[in-house]
Amino acid sequence: MGTLEDVKQAVLGMVPEQVEKLVRKALDEGASADQIMNEALIPAMGVVGDEYESGERYVPEMLMSAEAMKSGMEVLRPLLTEQGVKPVASVVMGTVEGDLHDIGLNLVSMMLEGSGFMVVNLGTDVSAADFASAVRAHKPEVLGMSALLSTTMLQMKNVIEMLKDEGLRDRVKIMVGGAPVTQSYAEEVGADGYALDAAAAVKLARRLVKP
Amino acid sequence: MNARERVMTALEGGCPDRVPIVEPWINQSVLVRLAELLGISSPAGPIDDQALEEERQEMMDVYCQVIEGLGLDASASRFLMGMSAISGNLVRNKYGTTYQLSEHGSPLPVSGPIKKSEDLAGYDMVSKLDPDDFNEVRQVVATCGPDLAHFVVVPCPFKIAWWLLRGGMQQLLMDFVRSPGFVHDLFRVAVEFCKRAIELASEVAPGVTIILEGDIAAERDLIVSPAHYRKFIHPYYEELVTFSHRKGLKIVKHTDGNAWAILDDMVAAGFDAFHPVQPQCMDIKKVKNHLAGRMCIIGNIDCRNLLPYGTEEEVKASVRETIAIAAPGGGYIISSSNSIHPDVNPHNYLAMVEAARRYGSSRWSSRTSKGEPRL
Repeated sequence: MGTLEDVKQAVLGMVPEQVEKLVRKALDEGASADQIMNEALIPAMGVVGDEYESGERYVPEMLMSAEAMKSGMEVLRPLLTEQGVKPVASVVMGTVEGDLHDIGLNLVSMMLEGSGFMVVNLGTDVSAADFASAVRAHKPEVLGMSALLSTTMLQMKNVIEMLKDEGLRDRVKIMVGGAPVTQSYAEEVGADGYALDAAAAVKLARRLVKP
Repeated sequence: MNARERVMTALEGGCPDRVPIVEPWINQSVLVRLAELLGISSPAGPIDDQALEEERQEMMDVYCQVIEGLGLDASASRFLMGMSAISGNLVRNKYGTTYQLSEHGSPLPVSGPIKKSEDLAGYDMVSKLDPDDFNEVRQVVATCGPDLAHFVVVPCPFKIAWWLLRGGMQQLLMDFVRSPGFVHDLFRVAVEFCKRAIELASEVAPGVTIILEGDIAAERDLIVSPAHYRKFIHPYYEELVTFSHRKGLKIVKHTDGNAWAILDDMVAAGFDAFHPVQPQCMDIKKVKNHLAGRMCIIGNIDCRNLLPYGTEEEVKASVRETIAIAAPGGGYIISSSNSIHPDVNPHNYLAMVEAARRYGSSRWSSRTSKGEPRL
């Protein structure tokens, strides 16, 4: 359908108002909410992620496309709930205790939402106890932790240990990221995966929840 | 050659008697531990932004004694932003920005005074800058004396625009796409503030070197595209470099991360040096080859893993190797790859400084950038 392609292009073109308008148009033309999400919004964010990885897009363009996608999702969300459409998986995200950086966290959260995940964003400075409570309360398939400082990165291990102590570790896949974090650090602390950036985080989350 | 001459020679691309040793940021908690190791009496712990004047002066005095005890070639100080406590761990500066404090790093903004372009009308931050904001600079320069080089850290227009005016990087970055005119208006306000700060710094400390700080790169690449950098950031950087040079001041650009894409732009802007050449992102040999004769390099000793968790022998080996790569031909100043932050082992920092003095002799400085003896 031409309008779905227009929705996709409007996300790539970073025009939130246009995305909202076109999503409503697509609905009026008979497209279902999950069709618009799966055939326009999610593929658009996939292109955004690929272009970020290849250096064609940078953080401002990612944020604006995510904002554009969000404006479309806001129209679709109540309809998706009504239709009983389930998200790909649910993810709890947060920046670890003592760390106040949120741009990476927010970018990953937006990109995950744009890829069909349901995201609970706990924000920054999240203690191990709060991560554990969130896992207990929201029962996510994935827990994502971010840290931008080599001092705060050490909290990731504390979170994983607490989840083990509370019998929650086996219920959730854990992915980690942030400037000082590396693949070997992720392995060292017992995480299930490491992502270099927001685009890689989406791919990793998809891989972690694959049956 | 005294310390100031050493640093200035390196900043001008020349070969000093030995590689200068500087450190633009030493966190107070490490400073106190360094003071203890050097036998310098100091307050029990770090003081915060709302400390009393006497407490500040005492900590600055300890800083000067530590600089002297370490034998560093430069001091580095900052002007105050007029922070006052609001509640809990929230503070606000006199420019209207609210920050959340963390014991692990700099305060991060949660809200800024400029939420839309209309808020710029009548917003005046230049007149709020007060000579008294530079009291710490004044004290450090007076205490350390004229034989040392003195750096003053000034936030760059990009940092002022997000860290101060917009109260968050996410909003500013989206402005780059959706409101280009607004971005230029923000940067105009910011650059006038920077100029006034540079002016006041040079009145307090004639011949000071400016460090224009503000990360424009992340681990993998720039935060904004090279096109956005050239449109929105470069012209203002160039303006500040010209302004500084007209006052006879050197100016250094600090950014973490991978800044390769705009390294030549920084040369074109006229920056005298680039700091800190983060080893995870930029190879020192390639940077040296690229910048030799064009811009001084400052930094590169890893403070993410090596200085916190390495052995003293590993630190010394890294210093030796880095100097061997970066010093020949001149134009190199050694420092950590960002700062001496709370996780840095102070024994490792002492080892780094000791090794820098040992291996940074003119034996290395008097070689060409290809490592051949200079005739």
